[in-house]
Amino acid sequence: MQLEHEFTVPVPAPDAWRVLLDLQRIAPCMPGATIERVEGDEFTGRIKVKLGPIMVSYYGTARFVEKDEAGRRFVLEGNGRETRGAGTASATITGRLHEQQSSTRVTVTTDLDITGKPAQFGRGVLAEVAANLLDRFATCLADRITASPTTATPATEEQAAAQRVSVGGAQGDGRSMDSEAGTLDLIGTVGLPVLRRLTPALAGLAAVLGWLVARRARSRVVVHVHLPAYEERTRRPWLAGVRSRLP
Amino acid sequence: MIPPQFDYVRPRSVEEAVAALGEHGRDGDAKVLAGGQSLLPVLRLRLGYPTVLVDLGRAAGFHGVREEADTLVIGAMTTHHEVMTSKLVRAHCGLLAEATSTVADPAVRHRGTFGGSLSHADPAGDLPAVARAFDATMVVAGPGRLRTAPASEFFLGHMTTALEPEEVLVAVRLPKLGSDWGYRYEKFTRVAQSWAIVGVAALVRRSNGVIAEARIGLTNMGSTPERATATEDALTGRAPTDDAVASAAALAAEGTAPPSDLNGRADYREHLARVLTRRAVLAAAMRTR
Repeated sequence: MQLEHEFTVPVPAPDAWRVLLDLQRIAPCMPGATIERVEGDEFTGRIKVKLGPIMVSYYGTARFVEKDEAGRRFVLEGNGRETRGAGTASATITGRLHEQQSSTRVTVTTDLDITGKPAQFGRGVLAEVAANLLDRFATCLADRITASPTTATPATEEQAAAQRVSVGGAQGDGRSMDSEAGTLDLIGTVGLPVLRRLTPALAGLAAVLGWLVARRARSRVVVHVHLPAYEERTRRPWLAGVRSRLP
Repeated sequence: MIPPQFDYVRPRSVEEAVAALGEHGRDGDAKVLAGGQSLLPVLRLRLGYPTVLVDLGRAAGFHGVREEADTLVIGAMTTHHEVMTSKLVRAHCGLLAEATSTVADPAVRHRGTFGGSLSHADPAGDLPAVARAFDATMVVAGPGRLRTAPASEFFLGHMTTALEPEEVLVAVRLPKLGSDWGYRYEKFTRVAQSWAIVGVAALVRRSNGVIAEARIGLTNMGSTPERATATEDALTGRAPTDDAVASAAALAAEGTAPPSDLNGRADYREHLARVLTRRAVLAAAMRTR
């Protein structure tokens, strides 16, 4: 499935490019993630995503397969495996930087393929979770950039205000940007429990996670009810047993 | 399946519960155990692996229904069965009793709790939409303080609420409604006892033959419970005739972003919202005196 998101970084595109591709710098901003090893363009780490009582953690690697500075486009590929389950996740994340006056709009397209229990979550939920992670990533990044002495500090209140990060999640399923952005703002303000650090690559992985439907699992049959991703062609060995019990 | 290993804490009061969450919740892996009707399946399916469960089962201060002037205060650990059979709830907040009686099955209703259901914030859960319709106030305990949050600011997303990791829902305050209010919870399910594909919680106040005020909560029409504000506005000041209600109910899905899943696509849910809103408002208006 494909997910679309965007966020804004409060510096011009050339600076934004340098920041976004600097793993050491952005890693602490990704909620729920830890990076264990960096080798050139490849890095290894884990990410934990929570949704209510449900948690999924992945261990995996990601690497930059394309860094086109002139075209301001990068492509990141990641693969992960659930640390407590049989599921897998892989993502190809394409980022594009669009210059705006004194800031940069970054659009992120994620091609996501997940197996295992999280595959239950429909694209709406996955997109919401991913947008949420990216939102907090972008906010953290903006805070660090504006706090950093190496970048120009805003001269006026207006500029400072203009530098506040805005995030919107646009999705292909027809949900309006406005309502999505509203949700994100709220969540961003209040903050989800846990999550800590990570990198943009892992952002994709994060998307992957999503959430599960245990809810329906009140016990018995109810598990069935929620196979939102039924059509999405993901392999769900876990479900085979459940599906056979559907009415 | 056997749940993953966890530590177990059983506080005896609200203060102890908050202290336990403060101690174990900082890494975010402590979970509050209320009735366990959603959390235990999650653990048994190994969809979650909290390190600590804070069991409120024997904590004082979370339980029961009481009156405070024009408000009903319902403890978070009050079970669904207790809520739906409470004389106070039935007399003053009939919508809540009615909606609660549709939650799952009797076994779940005897264990599951009002506050647990709200804190779990499942988009398909019935009670969050009811809380929105009542404009309920959540009473939340955190380290060294008690705060309140209106229902409109409590539900933030899929299974996500404004509760911080070290906070716990203590009680919910609902306004007592007089007999000029009518109510109805309409719920559409594929099989009995399953989750709502869409639900509509309607409160209607009639005055001089016309609808003076309508409050309509929507279940499963987005990642949070919504209010059908366009319908509410269109109903205000109108006599509750079939035509007037039908044309107002046609606006019920405006501004919502319902999910598409195996139970139905988003447009089907929008259709359900319109139909169920019409039924709920008409039934609610009939109940007013």
